[in-house]
Amino acid sequence: MHTDPPSDNLIGGYLRDDVRILNAHIPRKRKSLAQLLEEEHPHVICNDGNAHYFRKRELDFLSQMISTEEQRTLLLPIILEVAHDSGEIIIRTKEGTEAKILSSILNMSIVHRNNKIVIYRPQLSIVRKVLKTSTQYVFFPETLRQDKG
Amino acid sequence: MGTKVEVTRPTKIELARLKRRHRLATRIQKIVKDRLAILIMEFLQTVTECASVKEKLLTDFMEAYKAFSVASGFHGTVPLEKELLVSEMAIKVHAGMRNVAGVRLPLFEIETVEPGTSKAKSVADTSSLLDHAAELSQKCLETMIQLAELENSLELLGAEINKVKRINNALEYIVIPGLDVTIKYLNMKFEERDREEIARLKHVKLLIEQREAYAY
Repeated sequence: MHTDPPSDNLIGGYLRDDVRILNAHIPRKRKSLAQLLEEEHPHVICNDGNAHYFRKRELDFLSQMISTEEQRTLLLPIILEVAHDSGEIIIRTKEGTEAKILSSILNMSIVHRNNKIVIYRPQLSIVRKVLKTSTQYVFFPETLRQDKG
Repeated sequence: MGTKVEVTRPTKIELARLKRRHRLATRIQKIVKDRLAILIMEFLQTVTECASVKEKLLTDFMEAYKAFSVASGFHGTVPLEKELLVSEMAIKVHAGMRNVAGVRLPLFEIETVEPGTSKAKSVADTSSLLDHAAELSQKCLETMIQLAELENSLELLGAEINKVKRINNALEYIVIPGLDVTIKYLNMKFEERDREEIARLKHVKLLIEQREAYAY
């Protein structure tokens, strides 16, 4: 039995101004891992109305890495914010479960600070190789990022 | 060199509008470049994966053919074909979509084989050699489905990369330089207008001075 996932205010911020069309592929509402594990065909509905399916093997892999409590708080897909100038990839999260997952994938310690996790482009390809369906890109210009804080 | 954007009226409002468009175009170009870099990274990753899956498929096929030829040597070709004709197995593949930076790629997932639907081979007439060959051919099927997904993804990613590249080139070589030229043209026009205004004022001042001199 799953409980309601925590509130997800992240999506709204990515759908502002001129980036709305570019980010039409991000989900309307993310689902928790626990919720997705219960579904026969785990998927989320994107903003453009299409479904984004998850590979079950990936979800099982994720569930083995974290506790049952963390499975309820981990929202999927994990949103990877692509920064233009710095080459950084930012993952915004309050709980920091993602840091635990990324640490074990990248085999190095990942710091969760100020509600965000930062990884770099070379690490991105390693993460994407393992988590193809449970991560999703979002394009967010520097100027909007400063507004968002 | 970018072509000049047609300006209906050379006004300050038009200049402000063009500057706003320029800022937006630059911002969009940055995002488009990011998207292009991501898509290329995904494409290269898919290419590598595709190559390794192809290699795996070739090995699987080789093993399966080897196993079938051993089974065929043991049972004989005709009885083996007869057994293979009657045996069948329902395999369920769930076809979904996944999204990579706005590109919808196929996602095939092989679900468990339904036990009730399979028509098994006769146990009396076959051997473990045939079972082994059947197992290997099922492995081939799984790899083929995986390869189909990857090849299709590759095609779709390639097409999207071309599209994004065209957008990026259009922004970089036509839209932004065009706006630059038009903004420069308008700035020059305003400067020229200011200079004309100053010259006119000076001329008027001179005329007034001359008129006043004649009056006295």
